[in-house]
Amino acid sequence: MLEIKNLHAKIGDKEILKGLNLTVKAGEVHAIMGPNGTGKSTLASIIAGKEDYEITAGEILFEGKNLLDLSPDERAREGVFLAFQYPVEIPGVSTTNFMKAAVNAKRKHHGQEPIVAKEFLAMMNEKRQLVELDKSYLSRSINEGFSGGEKKRNEIFQMAMLDPKLAILDETDSGLDIDALRIVADGVNKLKSKNNAFLVITHYQRLLNYIVPDFVHIMYDGRVVKTGDKSLALKMEERGYDWIKEEVGV
Amino acid sequence: MSFTDNIETIFETIDKDNLSAVRESALSSFKTLGLPSARHEEWKYTHIKTKLPETLRLVASQESQVASKLKYFNSIKGTKLVFINGVFSAESSVIIDQSGLTVGSLKELSSQHEAIFTKHFNKATDISKENFAALNTAFAQDGAFIYVKKNTIVEAPVFVFHIYDHASADIFTQSRNLIVVEENADITIVEDFQNNNGEKFYNHVSEVFIGQNAEVNYSLLQLHNQHTTSVNYVEARLEKDARYHITTVTLDGKLVRNNINAYMDGENSLATLNGLYIGKEANHIDNHILVDHRVPNCNSHQVYKGVLDDQSTGVFNGKIFVQKDAQKTNAYQSSKAVLLSDEASMNSKPQLEIFADDVKCSHGAAIGQMSKNELFYLLARGIDKETARGILTYAFANEIIAAVKLPELRTYLDDKLKEKLNITI
Repeated sequence: MLEIKNLHAKIGDKEILKGLNLTVKAGEVHAIMGPNGTGKSTLASIIAGKEDYEITAGEILFEGKNLLDLSPDERAREGVFLAFQYPVEIPGVSTTNFMKAAVNAKRKHHGQEPIVAKEFLAMMNEKRQLVELDKSYLSRSINEGFSGGEKKRNEIFQMAMLDPKLAILDETDSGLDIDALRIVADGVNKLKSKNNAFLVITHYQRLLNYIVPDFVHIMYDGRVVKTGDKSLALKMEERGYDWIKEEVGV
Repeated sequence: MSFTDNIETIFETIDKDNLSAVRESALSSFKTLGLPSARHEEWKYTHIKTKLPETLRLVASQESQVASKLKYFNSIKGTKLVFINGVFSAESSVIIDQSGLTVGSLKELSSQHEAIFTKHFNKATDISKENFAALNTAFAQDGAFIYVKKNTIVEAPVFVFHIYDHASADIFTQSRNLIVVEENADITIVEDFQNNNGEKFYNHVSEVFIGQNAEVNYSLLQLHNQHTTSVNYVEARLEKDARYHITTVTLDGKLVRNNINAYMDGENSLATLNGLYIGKEANHIDNHILVDHRVPNCNSHQVYKGVLDDQSTGVFNGKIFVQKDAQKTNAYQSSKAVLLSDEASMNSKPQLEIFADDVKCSHGAAIGQMSKNELFYLLARGIDKETARGILTYAFANEIIAAVKLPELRTYLDDKLKEKLNITI
């Protein structure tokens, strides 16, 4: 589904990704761990299409298409979803209206008619319950005055509404208490299927107790330096990152 | 050659309506003031002189087309006063009678209510300083007369429509309202200007007197005037405990100058002045706001928001005066503008002059661009760039419309805004 080959990217003069490779197939959950400043969130932003970065080498293929040729909105309509590390507050637009615009943009892209009101409401109702988001939040302005946990639940709710093929969770667990973490993870687990894939970026092994990864990648200095199964995450938690640096010789 | 050269000849021909003395004094004042040039501080960014045709006719009495009908607002109930090219059209108007309420043509009703008329006419504007108010006072023939007697709560909103449909490109329509709302009365007024096609020029003055503990909700709408050059005055005087809420919504206009002035004459009065303007192409939208706190314990609150795209220009000039006696004044002002293109420009000038020492005044003026983070958030959900920009503009602008009190009007304006921004959320 996703194939990243030798990706190099910089912001200004600073090179952040230095030859990153990653392959994700449908039905898989991949976790990306690594110390701060190593390029994890940059990778998420680049896949989603944020403009601030310059790609100097490499490619990203999504279902065989060159993702770097597509605008951020086209990528989203093709089925890429980014759950933001810091969801943006937008006063003046309700989550309901926002989602209606997003769902209809996707439908239009796939040659479908705009969703009928009744069906949309039923869908909203069903999906919000996945992350135990109260109905009242949907009529409020996007993320305005939401707590950290509510914002992250809103991200997962949006993910459920848009039913992406590839979902990237950018530190969705950071700053969440255990109850919120469980809710978010349960939501993700319910959305998992053999047709979609998840890329979970996290600092903490804790999340991976709830969202169990098929692969764990350790990123360091702009590259994936080690890949293993879920036990790698536990090892990271116990031993920190220093042994990795030694093992891979950086 | 300009219309000011033969202004006296034009003056000879108009109907003076028992106002000869005041009209002559206004004419004399206008002759002294002339049209404002770019050197005039209050017109520094709005060069109207060069935007008016060289020769102008000031009255278009014989040009109305009988076929003119209201094109908008047909779904909203209320009294509807219709003026076509500045002339009252009884056949197009609908008046919902209510005891205590007098509405209609100023020309027709001023003599029937002579005492009220004389007491108030030209008492809220300063024709010795304001060029266009002077011109208007000298030449205006008609407009709305709204008189609400003491303790009358006006049930249905009063709409004042100005339809411009004449074919001549040299008419500078002068229209004039007089609105008197007595003690404990309450009224909602919506005024809209509709230009059906072609270039139009008008100069409109509305004087509003709000009695003790009375309330006026006034919306001044400029929604259908893409080819219009206009000067608008809304001059309000507030007595003790009076409440005044005015909203201006400008969704297009070739050149728009709004002078929204509120004089806090009585203690504990409250004025909220909100405005929204959306500029596209070469639109020029100028809002001059003045709140004059003359007595203690009054509150004023202004929020102006603008979005400027293409080569459009915005001007905000917000004056707050707090006179020496106006202790315990609480005045707030906020002006925010978003520029959507490199060629759009905004001139913002907050001006607070405070002569009392125990007051609370705050203001903020911001000119910015659309947030990249917000835009990316919408794009990342699959919404195309143009729609995303429309949604964010709506989000920014919506606050002003959401504060409009009349629910049907709020819905109407919300739809108009979405239509303007080409979004369907």
